Amino acid sequence: MNQLSLLEVFGDSFARRALLEAVMVGGLCGAVGVHVLLRRLPFFTMALGHATFPGVVLAALLGISLFAGAAAFGAVVVVVVALLGARDRVDDTSAVGVTLSGAFALGVLLLSAQAGFSRDLTAYLVGSIITVQVGDLVTTALVGAAVLAALAALHKELVLGAFDRGGLAALGYPVLALDVVLLLLIEATVVTSIPAVGTILAVALIVAPAATARLWTERLRATMALAAVLGATSGVVGLAISLQWRVAAGATIVLVAAALFAVSLVVAPRHGLLARRPAALVPVAATTTAAGQGPTRAG
Amino acid sequence: MNLFEPFTIPYMQRALAEVLVLGALAGAVGVLVVLRRLAFVGDALTHTVFPGVVIAHLLGRSLMAGALAFGVLTAVLLTGLGSHRRVGDDAALAILLTSFFSLGVVLISRTRGFTADLTVFLFGRVLAIDRTDLVQTLVVAAVVALVLAVLHKELVLRAFDPEAAAAMGYRTRRLDLVLNLLIALVVVAAVEAVGTVLVIALIVVPAAAARLLADRVAAMTALACLLGAAGGWLGLAISYEVSVDHDLRLAAGATIVVVLVGLFLVAAAVAPLRRRLARDRVPAVARRGLGNSGGVPQ
Amino acid sequence: MAPEPPGGPPVLALRQATVAYEREPVVEGVDGEVAAGQSVALIGPNGAGKSTLIRAVLGLVPLTGGTIQVLGRAPQAARRQVAYVPQADTLDAEFPVSALQVVLMGRYPRIGWVRRPGTADRQAAASALAQVGLAERASARFGTLSGGQRQRVLLARAIAQEPRLLLLDEPFNGVDALSQDLLLTAMGRLRSAGAAVVMATHDLGLAHLACDEVCLLNRHQIGFGPIGTTLTPELLRATYGGQALQLRGDGVIVARP
Repeated sequence: MNQLSLLEVFGDSFARRALLEAVMVGGLCGAVGVHVLLRRLPFFTMALGHATFPGVVLAALLGISLFAGAAAFGAVVVVVVALLGARDRVDDTSAVGVTLSGAFALGVLLLSAQAGFSRDLTAYLVGSIITVQVGDLVTTALVGAAVLAALAALHKELVLGAFDRGGLAALGYPVLALDVVLLLLIEATVVTSIPAVGTILAVALIVAPAATARLWTERLRATMALAAVLGATSGVVGLAISLQWRVAAGATIVLVAAALFAVSLVVAPRHGLLARRPAALVPVAATTTAAGQGPTRAG
Repeated sequence: MNLFEPFTIPYMQRALAEVLVLGALAGAVGVLVVLRRLAFVGDALTHTVFPGVVIAHLLGRSLMAGALAFGVLTAVLLTGLGSHRRVGDDAALAILLTSFFSLGVVLISRTRGFTADLTVFLFGRVLAIDRTDLVQTLVVAAVVALVLAVLHKELVLRAFDPEAAAAMGYRTRRLDLVLNLLIALVVVAAVEAVGTVLVIALIVVPAAAARLLADRVAAMTALACLLGAAGGWLGLAISYEVSVDHDLRLAAGATIVVVLVGLFLVAAAVAPLRRRLARDRVPAVARRGLGNSGGVPQ
Repeated sequence: MAPEPPGGPPVLALRQATVAYEREPVVEGVDGEVAAGQSVALIGPNGAGKSTLIRAVLGLVPLTGGTIQVLGRAPQAARRQVAYVPQADTLDAEFPVSALQVVLMGRYPRIGWVRRPGTADRQAAASALAQVGLAERASARFGTLSGGQRQRVLLARAIAQEPRLLLLDEPFNGVDALSQDLLLTAMGRLRSAGAAVVMATHDLGLAHLACDEVCLLNRHQIGFGPIGTTLTPELLRATYGGQALQLRGDGVIVARP
């Protein structure tokens, strides 16, 4: 197999476009991911990725903006989940399970009614970065810039809201509105990531670089910067490997990001497993009660 | 629309047999998944079983065997993680799941016809079920049914009151492992028919619907099996009729799921009426969670 | 029926028991005995370690110091003889089980694996339900019962276990007066049959009614002895840190700050 130099790998114009997309998407996901971790939203983001799928499909079929479709559908899903979960005997996880299944199946149905079913489906689910066009690049750049600007402008409010919602409310901020804004920013990030990594894998690119950054630094702004760098790096390296070996690009990018996390988990000073070993090996004796209930109950 | 006519064709008959068995099997296991709010375990399994399916395919082996290997591995991992959940672990879990999934995608993308294969693994191909697949599904169903029957009372006790179960001497971790393995088996059985992504619907939706309408675990289980099977039958019939009569190709697996969700919505609409008729009401005080945790009883 | 004469091992024996989580002691230095037919109240503020101690007696958390013996054996070995009554509001109110089915759960250790409950088990469950005054609600769904009724069902479950040691965690919280009386009566019957009772509670008045001994805890043991001599204003102040306490029932004690 030819060992191509990095320059040669990215010689073609499609590869250069893909590279630009990978860098932008990786950087954006990394920065947003820090907030996802702060508010413990990895699973919600995963669900969001799944739920966005039919919206994207619908939008593509109707020829409207993917963002509009995804945002609208995402909003509908959130409302449906909330309504379902509020009913007797429907707990949150079941509400999410039912809604996601229905939404996902709907998306598949809509697509299957078209020709070229498999190809389009794959592109939405796991990305198709090498077919990215200039228009997509522009969209990514604009949305990315907007999201990052919003994050920068609302930084201190979002951070305070993550740690102390009561405090934020007491200061007179509209806590719920800020929550919704953040969720919309996450959603925009997920949708922007679709060409690169698809809906199923978007959560990985959002969560992994941020989780990795958190193992190396505790200062929030440094974490965001590092996460963005790690995300972009995963994008570039993953893309390069995928072009070399001719495998799916989105999945390779995710594997690189995950590998960076795994390595950091072990070696990072202070937070890595090697550094923390004495404490990490003390068994936590606890009854296996429902998830979340630790040993510290009243009394 | 004729809901019986499609099943005069042999391949449709096999597909019907498969979804009836799968629907009932997933419904039964789904009861415990819903009562214990374990939907995320099922979701995790769908991601981690996928590379097993791909590897098996590339090696020319049975897809179910590949799914089984990774399914068991995941069940064990999740049981181990389950009792030590901390904040950071959600991120680690999400990364783990998507890594497994990505591995599967990378492996399959090396082959030609990548996108078609991916679709099959994710969404199944129930119309291509052959006798061997059917037999395999029946075997899995028999095993799962046996285990459920034998361990039923302990699994329900653990779901209802894990503290009392532990106090009575039951090893809740082992019971959890058994349930996780059962869920894994259902996912494995469903891989060929409805694929890894849609199987979670088979597990969660009929049981969630049954929960709305039943006041006893036995009734809930029976209803879940019934709804699961009914969804399979209706979904197959509808997708066939629409595809043939109206020239609109509807994926069979996805149609089944949409039908199941429809049944759930009907159950959700009917449930309040039924409860009023059965006079099944939780006292308002209890529902609002007003317990006196201070010192002064009312 | 008279309680077991002294000579056999006490039902529960604690010797300087200490429990720690991740090297932080949660409760330490618990020392005392409970004989058959006796009843001890675990009293202390939130976070004092009462629930932890109960879990240690059940063998669910390991001791980091001292020993606990139930009927002369390690807690894990004596589980068949020990029944635990949690607070009813920790359970899912929508769970599809009837009151009788909940009580039947108490027979599971006796029934063992694979087998289903038999006639004898159902009779024991029905009789236990009757003892707490809920015979007519046997087929009602557990969640449709009031808080006090649910607590009674959980006690019936423990009664159906025919235990030698009964452990209760805040059994009177949010429970109506009638249910309280029925709970006290049923507990008294168990004690007459020779069972020992240990209950964690905030309610000093009910502790007086239900228990002959008290163990004062605030992360460590402050006192363990007969209620008359141990439940004193000074020891209570030491336990609760000098807060004023609101009490009811006979034998009111008020701690002056």
